[in-house]
Amino acid sequence: MAGSVALSIIALVAVGGFLSYSIGAGLFSTRLQQVLKDSTRAAAEVQSTFAAASATDEATLQSIMNSVVPSLESSTSSEPRQVALLRSPGQSTAQFLQSPISLDLDTAIIPEELRVKLRQTSGRLVYQSIEVPDINGGADPAVVVASQIEIPVAGNYELYLVYNLASAQQTLDFVQNTLFFGGMILILLIGGVALFVSARLVSPIEEASRAAQAIAAGALDRRVPTRGTDVVAQLGESFNSMATTVQTQIERLSKLSTMQQRFVQDVSHELRTPLATIKLSADVIEQRREELPPAARRQLDRLREQIDRFQNLLVDLLEMSRYDAGAVTAEFEEADINGLVGYAIVNLQELADAKQCQIVVDIPSGPVLAQVDARRIERILRNLLSNAIEHGEGKPVEVRVAASKLSVAVTVTDHGIGMTKTQVEHVFDRFWRGDPSRKRTSGGTGLGLAIATEDAKVHGGSLLAYSRPNEGATFRLLIPRVPGQETGAAPLPLGPKRPKKEVSDA
Amino acid sequence: MDEKKKILVVEDELALNQVLCDFLDGLGYATAQALDGLQALEKFGVYKPDLVLLDVMLPHLDGVTVCEKIRETSGVPIIMLTAKTDRADEIAGLEAGANDYEFKPFDADKLKHKINNWLRSRQQPENLKEIVIGPIHIDIEAHEVRRDGQRISLTPLEFELLQTLAAKPKQVFTREALLEQVWGYQYKADTRLVNVHIQRLRSKIEDDPENPRIVVTERGIGYKAGIF
Repeated sequence: MAGSVALSIIALVAVGGFLSYSIGAGLFSTRLQQVLKDSTRAAAEVQSTFAAASATDEATLQSIMNSVVPSLESSTSSEPRQVALLRSPGQSTAQFLQSPISLDLDTAIIPEELRVKLRQTSGRLVYQSIEVPDINGGADPAVVVASQIEIPVAGNYELYLVYNLASAQQTLDFVQNTLFFGGMILILLIGGVALFVSARLVSPIEEASRAAQAIAAGALDRRVPTRGTDVVAQLGESFNSMATTVQTQIERLSKLSTMQQRFVQDVSHELRTPLATIKLSADVIEQRREELPPAARRQLDRLREQIDRFQNLLVDLLEMSRYDAGAVTAEFEEADINGLVGYAIVNLQELADAKQCQIVVDIPSGPVLAQVDARRIERILRNLLSNAIEHGEGKPVEVRVAASKLSVAVTVTDHGIGMTKTQVEHVFDRFWRGDPSRKRTSGGTGLGLAIATEDAKVHGGSLLAYSRPNEGATFRLLIPRVPGQETGAAPLPLGPKRPKKEVSDA
Repeated sequence: MDEKKKILVVEDELALNQVLCDFLDGLGYATAQALDGLQALEKFGVYKPDLVLLDVMLPHLDGVTVCEKIRETSGVPIIMLTAKTDRADEIAGLEAGANDYEFKPFDADKLKHKINNWLRSRQQPENLKEIVIGPIHIDIEAHEVRRDGQRISLTPLEFELLQTLAAKPKQVFTREALLEQVWGYQYKADTRLVNVHIQRLRSKIEDDPENPRIVVTERGIGYKAGIF
């Protein structure tokens, strides 16, 4: 708004300046024409007066001469004028006549260059703009017009007519003042109009812009006020109707999503009590295992295995739904990653023994400290280890830990059948199985790596996989030492030292 | 031989209640059933159990309220059972004075262990009748804690925790050690349980729980009693 007012002011000043200049120039040239016409006539009059007198005596000539000034001063003219009749210098004849000069005219104001110019142009009218002092001590614009008069016997004289243009200047001043005040009023009007336009047009647009930002920031119920029926009001209404549609859609989707998450949680919760009953019931039977025939004992073992698997699935489902609902709060505490690795290995030793799998550990001496949610890190490590043992085909599984100033990395490598590029891309997907026909021995839930990925993300870290068919697989957990901080370069490579070929981001 | 320890099983799901009772029978305990909150309070008065297994979600009167009511008159061990897994629910139960928490579906061995632990007669530190830490006086025989002569009411678990720390003022206890000594857990359990109870204990006995002086945190290790 300030910009448009400033532009208007600049335009006004330009137009005003141009008007003022052209009016001034026009006024001057009109006056000049008038003045020159008057002067021509006056010069002719004076010349004819002397010519008609045919007087030769000094006294008569002097009296004619003396009458020239009053007659020229008094004769009607467009401007008041002062008169001087001066003898041209450099004549051989003796001067015997007094030069008549208007009383209040100081001949010094007649510029010398004009006098020279007059003599050079021999007989034509010449003029020059000058300034004459006014009564207030200032200066009025004036024009002095010069012409040559030939006086019999006495020789060549020069007639100077000084026209005071004060009245023209006054007119010009008046016009300029009018322009100035008119301009001021226009500027005020423009300011007012600008204010009005801004209130009517610009501020609704600004309001709409703010509302759009607020909506983008999540205040979905934000609307703009609308008044009237003009185009601005229409804009506001369109904006509001768009916002309403967006709000409805988003709320519907988020409600749907919340309902879905709630449903998963509710299902998990509702399943808990019957599962608890079945599980405990099986345990009660287990207490009396000795009384059962061998076949029933085998059935009981299967039953309890499946109940455990069911329970694990339920726990994982619930954990996944918590992550989906954004309801996970990690509890960070300083912990020794080496210790957690050791703990996970001890936990899985039984499985490793059953698979005749050796776990090879390469960890730095001394504690590797980081701010972590120990339960979650341990869960990630258990997951990676049990996968490696399961898919390692009895070959050794290697666990490495390394730390930099910023981060800690743990890699778990098996030398089993490995995965293709496509398989690596999907390995972190929920319920994904590398080979659907492969038997599920360790009873994984299919959510393990998906949860592990989320667990890593909660720390601001990452979980990545590298694998090639028949060469086994490496999973690398990389976490910052302080949750959410930069990890910097990973202290452990993901793949072998050769150029990386298949790397998938978690 | 003592007569059988009595356990009140409060669980609205009849099947689960029945299985729990059978399970406890098998372990050699006597049991009584309650199917809702009101019944639980009624039976508690009559049956005088040595331990209560208390479901959180109950008709008429929820488990947390039942727990609070029982705590008004008794320090009997209460183990809450819940199908919920929210941290907030667990804390509400512990605030109400429950000794322990077990999430459904529970592991039979774990539950057995917890019950045994809470029913086990506590071994008192030898020859200790009173322990003083700064302004806190712990009267072990009377099971009372006073601060500047004012009695502070602690739950049995909080008392146990404070007494364990205070009995060995120079020793730093890891959370795992506290779980083992106070809760009697021989297995890996959630050490956050310790954190929750330490916070609650501090809020009762400390001048400024933000800057604790009686129960002090040893960074990265665990807790110990403050030295005055």
